[in-house]
Amino acid sequence: MLDTSFAGAAAPSALVDKLLEINWGLIFFLTLVACIGFAMLYSAAGGSFDPWAKAQMIRFVLGLAVLFIVAMIDPRVWMSLAYPAYGFALLLLIAVFLVGEIGGGARRWLDLGPVNLQPSELMKVTLILALARYFHGLTFARVSNPLFLVPAFLMMALPAALVIKQPDLGTGLLILGIGVGLIFLAGLQWRLILGSLAAAGAAVFAFGDWVWNSLLEEYQRNRILTLFNPELDPQGTGFHIIQAKIALGSGGIWGKGFMQGTQSHLDFLPERQTDFIFSMLAEEFGLMGCVFLMAVYLIILGYGVSIAISTRSHFTRLLAMGVTINFLFYIVINMAMVMGMIPVVGVPLPLVSYGGTAMIVLMFGFGLLMSAHVHRELEIPRAGALF
Amino acid sequence: MAALGTSSAQENAAARARRRVLTRRRLERRLMLVAGSMGLVFLVLAGRLVDVMVFNGQRPGDTAVHGLPQDRGRADILDREGQILATDLASSSLYADARKISDPDGTARELASVFELDETRLAEDLASRRAFVWIKRHLTPQERFEVYRLALPGLYFRDDHQRFYPAGRLAAHVLGFTDVDGNGIAGLERTLDETLRQAGRDGEPVQLSIDLRVQHSLTEELAAAMERFDAIGASGIILSARTGEILAMASLPDFDVNQPGRAPADARFNRVTMGVYEQGSTFKAFTIAAALDAGTVTLDSRLDASHPLRVGRFTISDYRGKNRVLSLPEVFIYSSNIGVAQIARELGGERLSAYFDRLGLTRPLGVELPEVGEPILPARWSDIATMTAGYGHGIAVSPLHVARAAAAVVNGGHTVHPTLLRREAGALEADSVISTRTSEIMRALLRLNVEEGSGKKADTPAFPVGGKTGTAEKATAGGYDHQALMSSFLGVFPAYDPEYVILVALDEPKGTKETHGFATAGWTAAPVVGSIVNRIGPILAFAPSEPGETEGRHNLMLSSYTQ
Repeated sequence: MLDTSFAGAAAPSALVDKLLEINWGLIFFLTLVACIGFAMLYSAAGGSFDPWAKAQMIRFVLGLAVLFIVAMIDPRVWMSLAYPAYGFALLLLIAVFLVGEIGGGARRWLDLGPVNLQPSELMKVTLILALARYFHGLTFARVSNPLFLVPAFLMMALPAALVIKQPDLGTGLLILGIGVGLIFLAGLQWRLILGSLAAAGAAVFAFGDWVWNSLLEEYQRNRILTLFNPELDPQGTGFHIIQAKIALGSGGIWGKGFMQGTQSHLDFLPERQTDFIFSMLAEEFGLMGCVFLMAVYLIILGYGVSIAISTRSHFTRLLAMGVTINFLFYIVINMAMVMGMIPVVGVPLPLVSYGGTAMIVLMFGFGLLMSAHVHRELEIPRAGALF
Repeated sequence: MAALGTSSAQENAAARARRRVLTRRRLERRLMLVAGSMGLVFLVLAGRLVDVMVFNGQRPGDTAVHGLPQDRGRADILDREGQILATDLASSSLYADARKISDPDGTARELASVFELDETRLAEDLASRRAFVWIKRHLTPQERFEVYRLALPGLYFRDDHQRFYPAGRLAAHVLGFTDVDGNGIAGLERTLDETLRQAGRDGEPVQLSIDLRVQHSLTEELAAAMERFDAIGASGIILSARTGEILAMASLPDFDVNQPGRAPADARFNRVTMGVYEQGSTFKAFTIAAALDAGTVTLDSRLDASHPLRVGRFTISDYRGKNRVLSLPEVFIYSSNIGVAQIARELGGERLSAYFDRLGLTRPLGVELPEVGEPILPARWSDIATMTAGYGHGIAVSPLHVARAAAAVVNGGHTVHPTLLRREAGALEADSVISTRTSEIMRALLRLNVEEGSGKKADTPAFPVGGKTGTAEKATAGGYDHQALMSSFLGVFPAYDPEYVILVALDEPKGTKETHGFATAGWTAAPVVGSIVNRIGPILAFAPSEPGETEGRHNLMLSSYTQ
């Protein structure tokens, strides 16, 4: 009763009002990061907008449009779309698993005519939506009821298993991370958290061998092994790490200057325009450039958290945090990989690395975050889905 | 009821509101916890970033790429004047990570279009799952470019070095060569392997005692003589009589060090150090020096060479002997086996072998080459062994042994230690083998032999040479081959105060019309030394003598001993 009476009262409903609510600070910092990306892609191509920088700019503008549109739409619409979208993404994942195009030894893309869709990216966003909706509909007491935890657990484990089997260990773990993060934020009791941690530990102890040998692909095992000793297999998996570390080390504090990186320009750096673009930044702009980028990232994350705190409904809060955590995982996993702290996994540096799906999906996610911000005063009843 | 219901509803609402606030607080705590861990994770990342970028950064070249040890190269080898004899050229080698090659047959076929290779075998190698397969070492820039253009996956280049010898065949046996990985496997490259690596790291060259100009003169003259006399081989050495530095060392047939694999084993054989054979009459210089030094003969000694000498079942005879009593200088210049055999017998096996020992004839060379031969000595210094060893039979040494002993005989009596590395002047400490006086007499005898004896053809008008011929029949299974000769000439220059010992040996020379069919050393090897001295005299900064100047005191004095 109270809920509905408040609903919509404070939330802007007219498009103009909504536009005025747009968080321009967030837009600014997103654009700033994207510009760093343009500069690096320009440098990676040896001082040319082709083939990467121009395409990336177009995508970013497209992404901004997506962001604005998504932000204008009432979160209840997204809430209503959450399950169907999740189901659709899961179907795509299964489809990829069955008929996916093989790229770089992995079935990740689905060729849909003009677009090569990477369903695992889509899955991340729809999982956030679905889990946010699921926990929004639960009373706080039920969150810690194992019976109600099972669906949430399946919702994240099923796509994660499919993605890991693609095989794409990085994205799979990311999906798991988002799921675990949202369950934690939903208010799972500590004793259950500690209990499941203990259970997970026991499971690793009991089934670790089996997982290691049967579930992981050979290259995934190698990546984990060479992480701790890249020189062990310098021509294979260790090559990326060594070269990236050389690039990092040769940057020093101030870097070699824009377009002056040798490691990257002399083709020593593999995938320099995608997953390893951070090492290029490190080489050309040094520690200062890296710290600057990290600071901007941190500010964006701060926006995410503050939006999550300020928003009134459980759904939008979880949505905002889901998007923020996803963004964080991107950054952390990519940087840690480049710095040789974790194995090489195919995770791009968000908004900087060259790549289509990732950019659009990210901007879509930020659109959801913005929608949560624009509609922060909106209260949504437990059963608030429109359909 | 209604009132009660309202109040309970109000209570319920209040309780719910309170629960909501509590729940909300709890959830916000969670949220802040997550936000806090984000910050923490960033802090860890930043810490690692500083660690990697500032403190523990790897610089290019720190780590071997693809597990290959870095090829840091070897030092240049220079001659004594600073000319480059061996150097490293930057090069690149092609290899594959077979695991990353999806089409082994296609890859092999495409590579075969760039350079010659065994396509089937390469395809097999590429089809293996090996992480490392060499495809071709040391590509030319053109080949490298072509391979790049093929843009095939799984292929990599490794920057390395290729050893290059600008002088080609010159001093081939001295320099030796490296394997494809730059490890020295022959000659100085092998002996000095570690030195060259170390010096290469320090960017310092290694300087040899070899003088490229002298080396070239020696090689060219030897080659010319080899052709003229249709010899199967030739060797030559030019040794500094004072310092033991080897200015030139040549062994023919030789080979192009840049392509050692194409050279037959015969060409790679270093006759100067590996070739151990009976040296013949050049040994007479050592025997006479020993006897003079021991005092068992003097310049006034007379030796009966009127008839062959019978010792047990052996007969020692002279080649074109004078069949009369000879003075000591005559024994030397007519190269009388009979005379020298008597001198050796008089001196005795014990003393002769002791002198030989001190002259370095019985010991390994100690020169910086792995390819050295050990002297073959008489099992027992019996009378007959002593007598034949006296004129260079029944004892086999390398040409470098002879040059080394000769250096001591003419330099005032000091042993020298032959070396291929440049020696700083004044760093010499040497044992005395024979007295200065004996050494002076030997110089005179060697000069006399060129003026009036078997070494006449070694003389040049501009540069006085001293020397001794040596003609040995090559030992074959069970005896000697009278037709196969090893003709050598041991020269010293300048004759009156020798600074260089020049030894030349021709393997199986044939007589020509000009030599009246003779293949002996006086006709074949001696003129080679003359030509060499003519060429290297000016290079080594000796002023040509004025006509008549060569008529020195020694030869006048000694000429009176000959009839």
